[in-house]
Amino acid sequence: MTMPAILKIEQISKSYGAVKAVSDVSLELQRGEILGLIGPNGSGKSTFFDCVTGLGTPDHGRVQLDGTDITGWPLNRIAREGRMLRSFQKTVVFSALDVEENLVIAGQMFAFDSTRATFGIGTETAAIVEELRIRARELIKLTGLWDVRHMPAGKLSGGQQKLIQFASMLMPKPKVILLDEPMAGINPKLIEQVVEAIRYANTQLGISFLIIEHNIDVVTSLCQRVIVLDQGQMLAQGTPQEIVINPLVREAYLGG
Amino acid sequence: MSQLQETQQTWRSGLRLPAIILMAGLVLFAPAFVGSYSLHAVVIAMIFLLPALGLNLLVGYTGLLSLAQGAFFGVGAYASALLSIHFNTPFYVNVVSAGLISGALALPLGIPALRLRATSFVMCTLGFIVIGQAISKNWISLTRGDMGLSSVPKPYFALGPWSFSVVSTAAYYYLALAVAGLAILAFYLIVRSPAGRNMIAIRENETLAEAVGIPTWTYKLIVFVLSAIFAGVGGSLYVHYLTVVSPLTFQMYYTTTILIIVLGGGVGTISGVVFGSILFVALSEFLRVAPEIRMIAYGICLLLIVFKFPKGFAPVIDKVWSALGGQRA
Repeated sequence: MTMPAILKIEQISKSYGAVKAVSDVSLELQRGEILGLIGPNGSGKSTFFDCVTGLGTPDHGRVQLDGTDITGWPLNRIAREGRMLRSFQKTVVFSALDVEENLVIAGQMFAFDSTRATFGIGTETAAIVEELRIRARELIKLTGLWDVRHMPAGKLSGGQQKLIQFASMLMPKPKVILLDEPMAGINPKLIEQVVEAIRYANTQLGISFLIIEHNIDVVTSLCQRVIVLDQGQMLAQGTPQEIVINPLVREAYLGG
Repeated sequence: MSQLQETQQTWRSGLRLPAIILMAGLVLFAPAFVGSYSLHAVVIAMIFLLPALGLNLLVGYTGLLSLAQGAFFGVGAYASALLSIHFNTPFYVNVVSAGLISGALALPLGIPALRLRATSFVMCTLGFIVIGQAISKNWISLTRGDMGLSSVPKPYFALGPWSFSVVSTAAYYYLALAVAGLAILAFYLIVRSPAGRNMIAIRENETLAEAVGIPTWTYKLIVFVLSAIFAGVGGSLYVHYLTVVSPLTFQMYYTTTILIIVLGGGVGTISGVVFGSILFVALSEFLRVAPEIRMIAYGICLLLIVFKFPKGFAPVIDKVWSALGGQRA
């Protein structure tokens, strides 16, 4: 008997006025899998991500995370209770705060059981924050940000900010991570570093990934399976090797 | 480093403790050597510090600009006045009730208002003041309309057989000092808690804050209520000091003063807001010597401050503090 999928998305649709951004897209992310999502610009990938992670609500469809129906949950609840985290296409960090604070914040809502508990002032609260700080430092070392850990995150390069974002997502020990173009705008050397970080999180921490990415080399090396979206619909799915030779995909996306 | 510099540094590094003792001495014994009019100005400043701390929590930590602080200040003042006039309740009951009533009122107002985005939220809070003024003017059976409420008793404390009334400006100075001190402590504990860190996260980037699991709306509502509690306590302190309250409390003047203290003093800092409340209230009181040009002079001072200290006074205070510690600022 096979294990049920960790993330099961059924027939998601989303329209903006007359424009159908996403229509009837379904997919299953298996436990421990890295699944790629590719397609031309405007094919509905980010809208699809938003619908799945609670930043937007789908017009139709259902999202199940580890057996729980999370359709319609807001972003913060999906992150907190579902332990499914996402990144953004345009990298965002808490600019005025240093790298360590960025990571501590990313872990807080998981370390305290309620909003009320975060108002605590006692030694117990301080101990929890100290634990978060220790974990933050481990992840800072892991992502190679040690030397800049006390710098304001907004002062760092785009690539370093991507690493902060990635490290932040590892703070709560998530089940699933959705990455929206993790390699966009970063230099080749750093691409290697991010690929390694994703691979580490996948194999060592058992996190499943759904990744939107345009860099086809990265997709081929990381993903076990790839899904292609075009004009809001699923065009093809298969292994990376099958996808790169699929004539439909070559015509719509990869070119010639 | 030359020997001279080194000596200078050790010499200066010892200045922090004396500076603290000097400040504490000044604060504790002010009534002994400050003239009664100046002392009055300082009392008013300490009273305005309360709504300013509340606004600082909103603007400086959570990134929400609210113009309703003056309204909650007024609600606290009226609530306190009505309680003491009709029920003859002691001061500490009034001050706590004023905070709770303002906070309780902020809850139903905050729920719809915080669904709005930045500019609409500001407009909405402006509406709260207008409504507050209209109610205080027109619910005559309760508020006596434009006449306002007068003869609000000065604070008195009763404990068993002992009772004590705070009548003189000097006595009120110590009362306001105690309340302001407690408010600063409460503020400090809030912003230093993990929740304070979440508030900063919301100010920095609300969507990212959501993405790391922070229920941003809940936090904003809590902060809105907390800010109203601070304002309500301030209003209570105000009405027991002046013993009168009228719909004028809901004028924009109060809201702007609170706003100036926070923005001019130093958004998101404690020292800046404390300094700001003393400076701006004292400035406003001092300028009463020239009533014809008072508001113009006040405006010019504000412009000078904005251009000279765009981040408020908090960075200046930090500089002085590090210099006293012997560090190069």
